[in-house]
Amino acid sequence: MKLAVFVSDYRMTVDTLDRLSPEKMGIILVQNGVYHATLKENGTPSSLLNKSAEFYALKEDLETRGLDASKVDSKVKVIAMGDVVDLIFNDYEKTAWI
Amino acid sequence: MATTKLGFIVQRPPYKSENPKLALTHAIATQSVEVYLNEGDTVTADIAFIGDGVLNCKKDQKAMDYYGLTSTEQHIKMALLVDINIWVCKEDVEKFGLSEDDLVLDAEEFGADMTVNVVPYGEISKKMEEMNHLLFF
Repeated sequence: MKLAVFVSDYRMTVDTLDRLSPEKMGIILVQNGVYHATLKENGTPSSLLNKSAEFYALKEDLETRGLDASKVDSKVKVIAMGDVVDLIFNDYEKTAWI
Repeated sequence: MATTKLGFIVQRPPYKSENPKLALTHAIATQSVEVYLNEGDTVTADIAFIGDGVLNCKKDQKAMDYYGLTSTEQHIKMALLVDINIWVCKEDVEKFGLSEDDLVLDAEEFGADMTVNVVPYGEISKKMEEMNHLLFF
């Protein structure tokens, strides 16, 4: 299964993401999830970025929060809302929001 | 005659919930509460951003451009304009790899005299002890 997971929080209170094991996973960082793409707490990038997945961050939500889209982690691709639609229709069979 | 000191403590990041903006709008609203008080009584409000709450103070927020929302940054500037003390925890700012240059520190364009104070948590803790009521958001 090809699964796109929307992550919308910075502080994760559930371990659902750890239990998912699709053949292909895309993690789309939206809303406060975009902090995973930019913040380095005590110099360390978010552990979320260690997962085996393709990472995307929504440009609109980065810039809404004053975060510079050019300074996201190198693992993360910055995308616009239109690109999210393309991912859903072209690259992934199912989506989840956590 | 008495002064009631309110301390608004913001611990959550912006936008995902309304909490941080509610703290700011409630603090700003204390400016107009005097009509309900006895003569001579006053209410003051200070705001402190700690933990993830310091992310509210990131400058260059474009919430209006993308979502038609007044940004949390603008609310902070409005709070400065009405002379509310704003404290930001220095340790938490640094924990996120941010510096004062990344933060909204003043509202000069609106003519505000107040500025945001980035201070060690110990200083915020002392301020909290001075308050009559603490409200956590």
